[in-house]
Amino acid sequence: MNILREVGGGLLKMFVADGWLAAGVVAVVSVAGILTRSGGVPPLIGGAILFLGCIAVLVASVALAGRQHRRDR
Amino acid sequence: MISLTTAAPAVSAAFVASLVEVVEAFTIVLAAGTLRGWRGAIAGTAAGLVVLASIVVALGPLLEQVPLHLLQLVIGVLLLLFGMGWLRKAVLRAAGIVPLHDENAAFAAKTAALSDATTPLRSGYDWLGGVMAFKAVLLEGLEVVFIVIAVGAGRGLLLPASVGALAACVVVLAIGAIVHRPLARVPENTLKFAVGVILCAFGVFWTGEGLGIAWPGADLMILLFGALFLIVGLGAVAAIRQPPGAAAR
Repeated sequence: MNILREVGGGLLKMFVADGWLAAGVVAVVSVAGILTRSGGVPPLIGGAILFLGCIAVLVASVALAGRQHRRDR
Repeated sequence: MISLTTAAPAVSAAFVASLVEVVEAFTIVLAAGTLRGWRGAIAGTAAGLVVLASIVVALGPLLEQVPLHLLQLVIGVLLLLFGMGWLRKAVLRAAGIVPLHDENAAFAAKTAALSDATTPLRSGYDWLGGVMAFKAVLLEGLEVVFIVIAVGAGRGLLLPASVGALAACVVVLAIGAIVHRPLARVPENTLKFAVGVILCAFGVFWTGEGLGIAWPGADLMILLFGALFLIVGLGAVAAIRQPPGAAAR
């Protein structure tokens, strides 16, 4: 049971190493998906939202960790 | 027939990503084998590989049943979650915010944990070492399996991706058998950075394809996405870089 729990925890950590990053990625994909599939924006604009959104989430997550590190020192 | 230009990105991505994971698993198996005996460590490793092989055999036919767009969307999102996690960690390590992963330190920690274990070392077969090796192979191996499926399944490139992962195992085992110590010289963070960039690029591409976006230039967009993620990653390192020795303990 212990091994199963550790494997389950390892699998979860594989995809959700940082909660905010994972939530941000899911939010960006959801927004891009809804806008594209509903016809609200042309597919290529949806693609740009997806890519730029991911970049924004990454930069925000790294910047947040950097600021936290400076505050903790 | 799969052309070399189609297969090369999948093979190299699977090889480099697997290299990082196999090195980490090797360090733990080495600690288990050195301290608790090789029979247990080898049995644990073999058991881990059998479980992994079973997962691959079970998943293979299942993946063929999933519609391609849904498969690309699910794998694309998982790739984004996995790849952006790796890229974030690699950026923070390169910037000195998080300490670099040290295989020698990992080996020392595992060795200390096994030395402190209350279970007495028996001659021949040792469960503690075997279980530690099993968990290491299974956990790191699951990441390898995911990477192989992620870079291979969307384009029918499972075989080339598997070859890349297998090559990484062979390289690490061959070097490990010769030097018989943790492979601390492998530039783990540089590899992780590179793989993070590649996985993010594949992730955006396949998520988009899964959503029905026809990317201009088709597969060439993966290169563009990769280049842009690399520039952003390097820029982020430069922006938050800490002086040497300032990494969090």
